[in-house]
Amino acid sequence: MPRTLHAETVLGQSLFQKISNCRVLMVGAGGIGCELLKNLAMSGFRQIELVDLDTIDLSNLNRQFLFQKQHIMKSKAEVARESALKFNPNINIIAHHANIKSPHFNVEWFKSFDIVMNALDNLDARRHVNMMCLVADVPLIESGTEGYLGQVTVIKKDETECYDCQPKPVRRTYPVCTIRSTPSQPIHCIVWAKSYLFSQLFGLPEDDDDERLEAEMTQENVKEIENLKKETQALKQIREAMGTTDYPQKVFKKVFTDDINRLLSMEDMWLNRKPPVALKYEEIEKLVTEGNSQLNYTENSNTLKDQRVWSLAENFVVFLDSVRRLSEKLMTEQANNPNASLSFDKDDPDSLDFVTATSNLRSYIFGIEPKSQFKVKEMAGNIIPAIATTNAIIAGMIVMQSFKILNEKLNECKTTFLDGSRRPQIFLSESLNPPNPECRVCNNTHVILKVNTKKATLRDFLDKVIHGQDDDMDIGEVTVEEGGRIIYDVEYDDNLDVTFEQLQITDGKLVSVKPDDTDEQNSSIFAISHRDFETPDTWFQVDGKPFAARNKTSVAKSSDYNSNSSFDNNSSSIQKRKLEESEVDTFEGLSRKRPATDEEILVEDDDIMVTDNGTQKLIVID
Amino acid sequence: MSNSILTSRLTEERRQWRKDHPYGFYARPQKNDDGTLNLFVWNVGIPGVKDTPWENGTYKLVMFFPQEYPAKPPKCKFTPPLFHPNVYPSGTVCLSILNEEEGWKPGITIKQIVLGIQQLLNEPNPQSPAQAEAYELFKRDKTAYEQRVRQQAKENIMR
Repeated sequence: MPRTLHAETVLGQSLFQKISNCRVLMVGAGGIGCELLKNLAMSGFRQIELVDLDTIDLSNLNRQFLFQKQHIMKSKAEVARESALKFNPNINIIAHHANIKSPHFNVEWFKSFDIVMNALDNLDARRHVNMMCLVADVPLIESGTEGYLGQVTVIKKDETECYDCQPKPVRRTYPVCTIRSTPSQPIHCIVWAKSYLFSQLFGLPEDDDDERLEAEMTQENVKEIENLKKETQALKQIREAMGTTDYPQKVFKKVFTDDINRLLSMEDMWLNRKPPVALKYEEIEKLVTEGNSQLNYTENSNTLKDQRVWSLAENFVVFLDSVRRLSEKLMTEQANNPNASLSFDKDDPDSLDFVTATSNLRSYIFGIEPKSQFKVKEMAGNIIPAIATTNAIIAGMIVMQSFKILNEKLNECKTTFLDGSRRPQIFLSESLNPPNPECRVCNNTHVILKVNTKKATLRDFLDKVIHGQDDDMDIGEVTVEEGGRIIYDVEYDDNLDVTFEQLQITDGKLVSVKPDDTDEQNSSIFAISHRDFETPDTWFQVDGKPFAARNKTSVAKSSDYNSNSSFDNNSSSIQKRKLEESEVDTFEGLSRKRPATDEEILVEDDDIMVTDNGTQKLIVID
Repeated sequence: MSNSILTSRLTEERRQWRKDHPYGFYARPQKNDDGTLNLFVWNVGIPGVKDTPWENGTYKLVMFFPQEYPAKPPKCKFTPPLFHPNVYPSGTVCLSILNEEEGWKPGITIKQIVLGIQQLLNEPNPQSPAQAEAYELFKRDKTAYEQRVRQQAKENIMR
């Protein structure tokens, strides 16, 4: 009996045939990717290409079931291919151990697929694939999970919202003033402990990416320029005392007493804020000596030590001890290599003790709620939970959507949300939204420009392609941009006689051309495809119509998309949506039917949110 | 390819600035080694307001646009660092509209930013001091402070 008999029977001859002929690209072979490749291989897909730049790590093995211990350090794409071929050797899988953003995965390559499926873990790659699928006009199935939450949606040029039609929340960073002088949340103290004090004491200032920030951090709040020198000297002197018995004490007094008192001397800073209270070493030390029995309580407590919030005295003891341990570690390393330094690692107990105790002591000073070590580890390490079951369900949903696409029933595709905590109704589906007319990504005209990049100059491009021959139709002055670089505009024509290649506009690049005399957002995007054309007459060949009046299929109410809302993603990301019974997909066998009543349901508006503290928002990774 | 939301917004900012910008200001993307312009780093000149101790000076500033722009504000840094209570010793401006936790909104334009910084010059905010030198002189001795500011204006006359 052929392996595919069941699939063939269930799906029907016609769909099964389409599946066999479908060329599918899978981007990502991680949590969702492993499940997805298995699903594809078992449901009749025969032509699969898969791309992943990553290698297998020990921590993947609990859920990325195509990988085993002996595969650690090997390419995810290649091992996934080998494992999948074992349970279906009759299919063709091409694995690329490569970055999907690399230019050889150009528009023409994307065009060779019938469907693209994302199983990615980051915003940047998702945006790139979204863009490439728009230019190539290939349907994209986008997905993501975090913990018990997950979602799947379908993106098709000119018919649905693209990945960037809705603004995406960005990873939080914190202003220097907040971290250094006026913390108000636990995360501020954790960032200070992890990124500032840790590197000041045990790292090299140079090995920090943001050296400018470091410089600023050490300099601000210094009273005078001469004082600045003294300050730096003071910290250096203290660091020189590393290894001595009173080193931890010196550090404590500097950062939790002296520096706080100096902050307090800037009185205006505390007019509308709660002023900090400096810690006094001797007082807490006394507390520790007297309350010895209280400390031992730690060991006997029923609660695990890392799940319980430590007392001031406990934090004090752990701080001093971790400074001592880290100093010893650093000095041991420096004995072999004078330039050695330490960097924060959430899995290193000494680092984690230091950051937990330091951030909690700072929290006491500023009247902020202290946190357990478990919580600090999660917050400092940006840990995002990944659950195999969620990934498996989502990978199944991706394949379900692909069947609808292959049946040419895009209107039946849904955005589906999975929330394992909302039982029994764990699925929630919405119809796909039309494109956002304000979107700066999909509201463009996309064409392929075949060009001899070695010979053609910017001037040739403007004369032959942009301005053409017909004067009546001329679009006037334009701005030419590629990869964040202005190549040309009316006030900057230095590059007119430079070739595409010299301007680094080579195969696979996307050049944006925008007419100056229009307030419309849309540009024409030229996907560059190098050809060895030999005569100037044929240096260019354009596939598609740039600057064609775009046929707006959008039916979205324009009032939903005033220009402020498309910029403003500070507004609440959670919207209340009213769902009709008809909008809810019931996935046969998976979910129970919804009650036939209208119900207000909170729906997360955006499909990817990366947050530092992981507590307030949904999503989507893996 | 870089993020097209970011680059199309910056291209648009450049176009708008070319069409219309306030008198005495300049703002242009820095030149790359390959002869193109870098949309992520802009050189900016901010004139002091007339009839204030800042007049006649044009203060040079560099704007750095992060990958998350416009969700996040650009970093604005006076080069060389400016004597001003709300400018860090490194030159970075501390201003509520440039702080993503306070007043920054993705809709704020480059024009609004430079006008905001111009206004800050003569209207410092003593509640968020960023450098002790200017802050303390401002609190202690207004006359000496203004004299220092006038001196700085002279050193920043655009040639």
